Amino acid sequence: MSIRPLLAALAIATLVGCASDPAPIEQLKLTEKAIEQAKAVGATDEQPELHTAEEKLAGVRADMASKSYKQARMQAEQAELDARLAEARVLTGKSQEQITQLNTRLNRLRKQLGVTQ
Amino acid sequence: MNRLPRILSLGLLLSSAGLYGCAAHQNSGQALQQAGTDFQKVREDTDVLRSAPRDVIRAGELLGRAERLSSYVGSGDDVAHYAYLSSRYSEIARENSNLLLNQERLAKMEMDRQRLQLALRESKLASAQQQGKWLEDQIVSLATTQTERGLVMTLGDVLFDTGHAELKNSANRTVLKVVQFLLLNPQRVVRIEGYADNTGDEQTNLQLSKDRAQSVADVLTDLGIDDKRIEVQGYGAQYPVEVNASERGRAQNRRVEIVFSDATGRLGAAR
Repeated sequence: MSIRPLLAALAIATLVGCASDPAPIEQLKLTEKAIEQAKAVGATDEQPELHTAEEKLAGVRADMASKSYKQARMQAEQAELDARLAEARVLTGKSQEQITQLNTRLNRLRKQLGVTQ
Repeated sequence: MNRLPRILSLGLLLSSAGLYGCAAHQNSGQALQQAGTDFQKVREDTDVLRSAPRDVIRAGELLGRAERLSSYVGSGDDVAHYAYLSSRYSEIARENSNLLLNQERLAKMEMDRQRLQLALRESKLASAQQQGKWLEDQIVSLATTQTERGLVMTLGDVLFDTGHAELKNSANRTVLKVVQFLLLNPQRVVRIEGYADNTGDEQTNLQLSKDRAQSVADVLTDLGIDDKRIEVQGYGAQYPVEVNASERGRAQNRRVEIVFSDATGRLGAAR
Protein backbone atom coordinates (compact mmCIF):
# COMPACT_ATOMS: atom_id res chain seq x y z
CA MET A 1 0.00 0.00 0.00
CA SER A 2 2.62 2.46 1.04
CA ILE A 3 5.13 1.26 -1.55
CA ARG A 4 2.97 1.67 -4.63
CA PRO A 5 2.90 5.51 -4.78
CA LEU A 6 6.65 5.55 -4.23
CA LEU A 7 7.22 3.21 -7.15
CA ALA A 8 4.95 5.31 -9.33
CA ALA A 9 6.86 8.43 -8.39
CA LEU A 10 10.14 6.69 -9.17
CA ALA A 11 8.89 5.54 -12.55
CA ILE A 12 7.74 9.05 -13.42
CA ALA A 13 11.03 10.54 -12.25
CA THR A 14 12.91 8.08 -14.45
CA LEU A 15 10.74 8.94 -17.43
CA VAL A 16 11.15 12.66 -16.83
CA GLY A 17 14.87 12.13 -16.45
CA CYS A 18 15.05 10.55 -19.87
CA ALA A 19 12.83 13.08 -21.55
CA SER A 20 14.65 16.08 -20.08
CA ASP A 21 17.91 15.28 -21.92
CA PRO A 22 17.62 17.33 -25.11
CA ALA A 23 19.53 16.51 -28.27
CA PRO A 24 23.02 18.03 -27.76
CA ILE A 25 23.08 19.85 -31.10
CA GLU A 26 25.19 22.80 -29.95
CA GLN A 27 27.70 20.53 -28.25
CA LEU A 28 27.97 18.44 -31.39
CA LYS A 29 28.82 21.57 -33.38
CA LEU A 30 31.45 22.55 -30.81
CA THR A 31 32.99 19.09 -31.01
CA GLU A 32 33.07 19.08 -34.80
CA LYS A 33 34.67 22.52 -34.76
CA ALA A 34 37.34 21.44 -32.28
CA ILE A 35 38.21 18.41 -34.42
CA GLU A 36 38.36 20.56 -37.53
CA GLN A 37 40.64 23.02 -35.80
CA ALA A 38 42.98 20.29 -34.61
CA LYS A 39 43.25 19.03 -38.18
CA ALA A 40 43.77 22.57 -39.45
CA VAL A 41 46.96 22.92 -37.38
CA GLY A 42 48.19 19.59 -38.70
CA ALA A 43 46.93 16.90 -36.31
CA THR A 44 46.51 13.54 -38.04
CA ASP A 45 44.78 10.33 -37.16
CA GLU A 46 48.10 9.12 -35.75
CA GLN A 47 47.69 11.60 -32.92
CA PRO A 48 46.13 9.36 -30.23
CA GLU A 49 43.93 12.15 -28.82
CA LEU A 50 42.53 13.06 -32.24
CA HIS A 51 41.95 9.39 -33.00
CA THR A 52 39.96 9.04 -29.77
CA ALA A 53 38.00 12.20 -30.54
CA GLU A 54 36.99 10.92 -33.95
CA GLU A 55 35.97 7.54 -32.60
CA LYS A 56 33.83 9.24 -30.00
CA LEU A 57 32.30 11.52 -32.63
CA ALA A 58 31.23 8.46 -34.60
CA GLY A 59 29.69 7.13 -31.39
CA VAL A 60 27.90 10.45 -30.84
CA ARG A 61 26.32 10.27 -34.28
CA ALA A 62 25.08 6.73 -33.60
CA ASP A 63 23.71 7.81 -30.19
CA MET A 64 21.94 10.78 -31.78
CA ALA A 65 20.30 8.46 -34.29
CA SER A 66 19.06 6.17 -31.52
CA LYS A 67 18.05 9.20 -29.40
CA SER A 68 20.41 8.28 -26.52
CA TYR A 69 20.96 11.98 -25.95
CA LYS A 70 22.63 11.82 -22.57
CA GLN A 71 25.24 9.37 -23.81
CA ALA A 72 25.67 11.49 -26.95
CA ARG A 73 26.26 14.66 -24.93
CA MET A 74 28.86 13.06 -22.67
CA GLN A 75 30.75 11.54 -25.57
CA ALA A 76 30.64 14.81 -27.47
CA GLU A 77 31.94 16.78 -24.47
CA GLN A 78 34.81 14.35 -24.05
CA ALA A 79 35.61 14.35 -27.77
CA GLU A 80 35.76 18.16 -27.80
CA LEU A 81 38.43 18.19 -25.10
CA ASP A 82 40.28 15.28 -26.73
CA ALA A 83 40.47 17.33 -29.93
CA ARG A 84 41.56 20.48 -28.11
CA LEU A 85 44.31 18.53 -26.38
CA ALA A 86 45.38 17.08 -29.75
CA GLU A 87 45.58 20.60 -31.16
CA ALA A 88 47.63 21.88 -28.24
CA ARG A 89 50.03 18.93 -28.49
CA VAL A 90 50.60 19.54 -32.21
CA LEU A 91 51.33 23.22 -31.62
CA THR A 92 53.74 22.47 -28.79
CA GLY A 93 55.47 19.86 -30.92
CA LYS A 94 55.91 22.36 -33.72
CA SER A 95 57.36 25.00 -31.42
CA GLN A 96 59.73 22.36 -30.06
CA GLU A 97 60.95 21.64 -33.60
CA GLN A 98 61.47 25.36 -34.18
CA ILE A 99 63.56 25.56 -31.02
CA THR A 100 65.74 22.67 -32.18
CA GLN A 101 66.21 24.26 -35.59
CA LEU A 102 67.01 27.69 -34.18
CA ASN A 103 69.40 26.11 -31.70
CA THR A 104 71.37 24.53 -34.55
CA ARG A 105 71.65 27.90 -36.22
CA LEU A 106 72.69 29.67 -33.04
CA ASN A 107 75.38 27.07 -32.42
CA ARG A 108 76.64 27.48 -35.96
CA LEU A 109 76.77 31.25 -35.51
CA ARG A 110 78.59 31.00 -32.17
CA LYS A 111 81.07 28.56 -33.64
CA GLN A 112 81.82 30.92 -36.52
CA LEU A 113 82.20 33.88 -34.24
CA GLY A 114 84.59 31.83 -32.12
CA VAL A 115 86.62 31.04 -35.22
CA THR A 116 86.79 34.51 -36.71
CA GLN A 117 87.43 36.38 -33.46
CA MET B 1 -0.12 -13.57 1.07
CA ASN B 2 1.27 -12.02 -2.03
CA ARG B 3 3.23 -9.61 0.05
CA LEU B 4 6.27 -11.81 0.46
CA PRO B 5 7.17 -12.14 -3.25
CA ARG B 6 6.81 -8.40 -3.65
CA ILE B 7 9.23 -7.69 -0.84
CA LEU B 8 11.58 -10.31 -2.18
CA SER B 9 11.58 -8.83 -5.64
CA LEU B 10 12.11 -5.35 -4.27
CA GLY B 11 15.03 -6.66 -2.22
CA LEU B 12 16.50 -8.29 -5.30
CA LEU B 13 16.13 -5.10 -7.29
CA LEU B 14 17.81 -3.02 -4.59
CA SER B 15 20.71 -5.41 -4.13
CA SER B 16 21.37 -5.66 -7.84
CA ALA B 17 21.31 -1.88 -8.07
CA GLY B 18 23.74 -1.82 -5.19
CA LEU B 19 26.07 -4.25 -6.91
CA TYR B 20 25.95 -2.30 -10.14
CA GLY B 21 26.60 0.86 -8.20
CA CYS B 22 29.61 -0.74 -6.63
CA ALA B 23 31.28 -1.69 -9.90
CA ALA B 24 30.67 1.71 -11.42
CA HIS B 25 31.83 3.30 -8.22
CA GLN B 26 35.20 1.61 -8.39
CA ASN B 27 35.89 2.87 -11.93
CA SER B 28 34.67 6.34 -11.18
CA GLY B 29 36.66 6.33 -7.94
CA GLN B 30 39.84 5.71 -9.91
CA ALA B 31 39.00 8.39 -12.46
CA LEU B 32 38.24 10.83 -9.66
CA GLN B 33 41.50 10.12 -7.94
CA GLN B 34 43.40 10.55 -11.20
CA ALA B 35 41.64 13.85 -11.91
CA GLY B 36 42.51 15.02 -8.40
CA THR B 37 46.20 14.19 -8.92
CA ASP B 38 46.27 15.86 -12.35
CA PHE B 39 44.65 19.00 -10.98
CA GLN B 40 46.97 19.14 -8.00
CA LYS B 41 49.99 19.06 -10.30
CA VAL B 42 48.89 21.91 -12.57
CA ARG B 43 47.66 23.98 -9.64
CA GLU B 44 51.06 23.85 -7.99
CA ASP B 45 52.89 24.76 -11.21
CA THR B 46 53.29 28.52 -11.34
CA ASP B 47 54.11 28.45 -15.04
CA VAL B 48 50.85 26.69 -15.85
CA LEU B 49 48.87 28.99 -13.55
CA ARG B 50 50.36 32.03 -15.20
CA SER B 51 49.95 30.93 -18.81
CA ALA B 52 46.68 28.96 -18.79
CA PRO B 53 44.66 30.13 -15.78
CA ARG B 54 41.28 29.56 -17.42
CA ASP B 55 41.97 25.91 -18.21
CA VAL B 56 43.14 25.34 -14.65
CA ILE B 57 39.96 26.94 -13.30
CA ARG B 58 37.81 24.75 -15.56
CA ALA B 59 39.69 21.65 -14.40
CA GLY B 60 39.00 22.65 -10.78
CA GLU B 61 35.29 23.31 -11.39
CA LEU B 62 34.78 19.98 -13.12
CA LEU B 63 36.70 18.16 -10.41
CA GLY B 64 34.47 19.76 -7.77
CA ARG B 65 31.41 18.68 -9.70
CA ALA B 66 32.66 15.10 -9.94
CA GLU B 67 33.41 15.08 -6.20
CA ARG B 68 29.95 16.38 -5.31
CA LEU B 69 28.27 13.82 -7.56
CA SER B 70 30.30 10.99 -6.08
CA SER B 71 28.29 11.23 -2.83
CA TYR B 72 25.11 10.21 -4.68
CA VAL B 73 24.18 6.58 -5.32
CA GLY B 74 24.14 5.50 -8.96
CA SER B 75 26.06 8.52 -10.24
CA GLY B 76 29.16 6.51 -11.21
CA ASP B 77 28.98 7.33 -14.92
CA ASP B 78 28.57 11.04 -14.28
CA VAL B 79 31.45 11.08 -11.81
CA ALA B 80 33.71 9.29 -14.28
CA HIS B 81 32.62 11.67 -17.02
CA TYR B 82 33.35 14.88 -15.11
CA ALA B 83 36.57 13.44 -13.75
CA TYR B 84 37.63 12.72 -17.35
CA LEU B 85 36.79 16.25 -18.45
CA SER B 86 38.70 17.66 -15.49
CA SER B 87 41.78 15.56 -16.31
CA ARG B 88 41.63 16.71 -19.91
CA TYR B 89 41.51 20.36 -18.88
CA SER B 90 44.52 19.82 -16.62
CA GLU B 91 46.43 18.32 -19.54
CA ILE B 92 45.33 21.07 -21.93
CA ALA B 93 46.50 23.64 -19.38
CA ARG B 94 49.91 21.99 -19.14
CA GLU B 95 50.25 21.72 -22.90
CA ASN B 96 49.24 25.36 -23.43
CA SER B 97 51.74 26.38 -20.82
CA ASN B 98 54.49 24.38 -22.56
CA LEU B 99 53.57 26.11 -25.80
CA LEU B 100 53.79 29.56 -24.24
CA LEU B 101 57.11 28.80 -22.60
CA ASN B 102 58.45 27.57 -25.94
CA GLN B 103 57.25 30.71 -27.65
CA GLU B 104 58.92 32.92 -25.08
CA ARG B 105 62.10 30.94 -25.52
CA LEU B 106 61.89 31.24 -29.29
CA ALA B 107 61.49 35.01 -29.07
CA LYS B 108 64.59 35.22 -26.90
CA MET B 109 66.56 32.96 -29.24
CA GLU B 110 65.48 35.01 -32.24
CA MET B 111 66.92 38.13 -30.60
CA ASP B 112 70.14 36.26 -29.88
CA ARG B 113 70.26 35.20 -33.48
CA GLN B 114 69.91 38.73 -34.79
CA ARG B 115 72.58 39.95 -32.42
CA LEU B 116 74.96 37.17 -33.51
CA GLN B 117 74.22 37.75 -37.20
CA LEU B 118 75.12 41.38 -36.80
CA ALA B 119 78.30 40.51 -34.93
CA LEU B 120 79.26 37.99 -37.59
CA ARG B 121 78.64 40.46 -40.39
CA GLU B 122 80.82 43.02 -38.63
CA SER B 123 83.60 40.56 -37.97
CA LYS B 124 83.61 39.36 -41.56
CA LEU B 125 83.66 42.96 -42.73
CA ALA B 126 86.56 43.69 -40.42
CA SER B 127 88.56 40.70 -41.57
CA ALA B 128 87.93 41.56 -45.21
CA GLN B 129 89.06 45.13 -44.57
CA GLN B 130 92.12 43.90 -42.73
CA GLN B 131 93.10 42.04 -45.82
CA GLY B 132 93.07 45.48 -47.43
CA LYS B 133 91.09 44.18 -50.29
CA TRP B 134 87.68 45.53 -49.53
CA LEU B 135 87.83 47.95 -52.42
CA GLU B 136 88.66 45.17 -54.77
CA ASP B 137 85.19 43.99 -54.06
CA GLN B 138 83.97 45.58 -57.20
CA ILE B 139 85.99 42.98 -59.01
CA VAL B 140 83.68 40.37 -57.61
CA SER B 141 80.93 41.71 -59.79
CA LEU B 142 83.10 40.60 -62.72
CA ALA B 143 82.74 37.07 -61.48
CA THR B 144 79.05 37.24 -62.25
CA THR B 145 78.01 36.41 -65.74
CA GLN B 146 74.69 36.76 -67.44
CA THR B 147 73.61 33.33 -68.72
CA GLU B 148 70.37 31.90 -70.03
CA ARG B 149 69.81 30.69 -66.44
CA GLY B 150 69.98 34.28 -65.17
CA LEU B 151 72.75 36.12 -63.35
CA VAL B 152 75.31 33.55 -62.15
CA MET B 153 78.15 34.03 -59.68
CA THR B 154 80.80 31.33 -59.45
CA LEU B 155 82.61 30.46 -56.23
CA GLY B 156 85.73 28.63 -57.26
CA ASP B 157 87.36 25.55 -55.82
CA VAL B 158 90.02 27.63 -54.04
CA LEU B 159 87.36 28.78 -51.59
CA PHE B 160 87.03 25.24 -50.25
CA ASP B 161 89.55 22.82 -48.77
CA THR B 162 90.02 19.69 -50.85
CA GLY B 163 87.30 17.19 -50.10
CA HIS B 164 85.70 19.48 -47.54
CA ALA B 165 82.41 21.34 -47.69
CA GLU B 166 83.20 24.31 -45.43
CA LEU B 167 83.85 27.68 -47.01
CA LYS B 168 87.25 29.17 -46.21
CA ASN B 169 87.64 32.61 -44.68
CA SER B 170 88.98 33.87 -47.98
CA ALA B 171 85.43 33.62 -49.28
CA ASN B 172 84.26 36.29 -46.81
CA ARG B 173 84.34 39.19 -49.24
CA THR B 174 82.42 37.37 -51.90
CA VAL B 175 79.86 36.10 -49.46
CA LEU B 176 79.39 39.54 -47.90
CA LYS B 177 78.87 40.98 -51.34
CA VAL B 178 76.13 38.46 -52.02
CA VAL B 179 74.52 39.16 -48.65
CA GLN B 180 74.67 42.89 -49.23
CA PHE B 181 73.14 42.44 -52.66
CA LEU B 182 70.32 40.29 -51.29
CA LEU B 183 69.63 42.70 -48.44
CA LEU B 184 69.35 45.56 -50.92
CA ASN B 185 67.15 43.48 -53.21
CA PRO B 186 64.68 41.80 -50.88
CA GLN B 187 62.58 40.50 -53.76
CA ARG B 188 65.36 38.44 -55.26
CA VAL B 189 65.93 34.79 -54.40
CA VAL B 190 68.87 32.52 -55.21
CA ARG B 191 69.56 28.94 -56.14
CA ILE B 192 72.89 27.64 -54.97
CA GLU B 193 74.22 24.88 -57.18
CA GLY B 194 77.14 22.63 -56.31
CA TYR B 195 79.31 20.89 -58.93
CA ALA B 196 82.18 18.39 -58.76
CA ASP B 197 84.75 17.01 -61.19
CA ASN B 198 84.57 13.44 -62.47
CA THR B 199 87.27 11.89 -60.24
CA GLY B 200 86.03 9.55 -57.55
CA ASP B 201 82.71 7.81 -57.46
CA GLU B 202 79.47 9.39 -58.51
CA GLN B 203 77.75 9.17 -55.14
CA THR B 204 80.59 10.89 -53.26
CA ASN B 205 80.78 13.63 -55.88
CA LEU B 206 77.05 14.21 -55.70
CA GLN B 207 77.16 14.39 -51.90
CA LEU B 208 80.16 16.75 -51.83
CA SER B 209 78.60 19.04 -54.41
CA LYS B 210 75.40 19.13 -52.35
CA ASP B 211 77.27 19.72 -49.08
CA ARG B 212 79.30 22.59 -50.54
CA ALA B 213 76.17 24.26 -51.90
CA GLN B 214 74.50 23.77 -48.54
CA SER B 215 77.43 25.27 -46.64
CA VAL B 216 77.26 28.39 -48.82
CA ALA B 217 73.52 28.54 -48.11
CA ASP B 218 74.20 28.15 -44.37
CA VAL B 219 76.62 31.06 -44.38
CA LEU B 220 74.07 33.26 -46.16
CA THR B 221 71.44 32.24 -43.58
CA ASP B 222 73.87 32.94 -40.76
CA LEU B 223 74.40 36.41 -42.12
CA GLY B 224 70.69 37.18 -42.05
CA ILE B 225 69.24 36.00 -45.33
CA ASP B 226 65.90 34.23 -44.87
CA ASP B 227 66.36 30.57 -45.83
CA LYS B 228 63.06 30.72 -47.72
CA ARG B 229 64.92 32.76 -50.32
CA ILE B 230 67.57 30.10 -50.85
CA GLU B 231 67.29 26.91 -52.89
CA VAL B 232 70.06 24.33 -52.78
CA GLN B 233 70.95 21.83 -55.47
CA GLY B 234 73.82 19.40 -56.01
CA TYR B 235 74.72 18.21 -59.50
CA GLY B 236 77.80 16.05 -58.92
CA ALA B 237 79.99 15.88 -62.02
CA GLN B 238 77.24 16.93 -64.40
CA TYR B 239 77.47 20.13 -66.48
CA PRO B 240 81.25 20.60 -66.50
CA VAL B 241 82.49 24.02 -67.67
CA GLU B 242 85.83 22.55 -68.82
CA VAL B 243 87.04 19.13 -69.91
CA ASN B 244 88.10 17.03 -66.95
CA ALA B 245 91.31 15.97 -68.69
CA SER B 246 93.67 18.42 -66.93
CA GLU B 247 94.06 19.36 -63.29
CA ARG B 248 93.20 22.93 -64.22
CA GLY B 249 90.01 21.85 -65.96
CA ARG B 250 88.97 19.68 -63.03
CA ALA B 251 89.59 22.56 -60.60
CA GLN B 252 87.31 24.76 -62.68
CA ASN B 253 84.60 22.14 -62.66
CA ARG B 254 84.72 21.92 -58.87
CA ARG B 255 82.65 24.99 -58.09
CA VAL B 256 79.56 26.41 -56.49
CA GLU B 257 77.35 28.66 -58.60
CA ILE B 258 74.90 31.15 -57.19
CA VAL B 259 72.03 31.76 -59.61
CA PHE B 260 70.13 34.97 -58.93
CA SER B 261 66.45 35.43 -59.73
CA ASP B 262 65.20 38.45 -61.62
CA ALA B 263 64.07 41.54 -59.69
CA THR B 264 60.60 40.07 -59.12
CA GLY B 265 61.91 36.91 -57.48
CA ARG B 266 61.40 34.67 -60.51
CA LEU B 267 64.11 32.04 -60.72
CA GLY B 268 64.85 30.06 -63.88
CA ALA B 269 63.97 26.36 -63.73
CA ALA B 270 66.57 24.02 -62.21
CA ARG B 271 68.73 22.14 -64.69
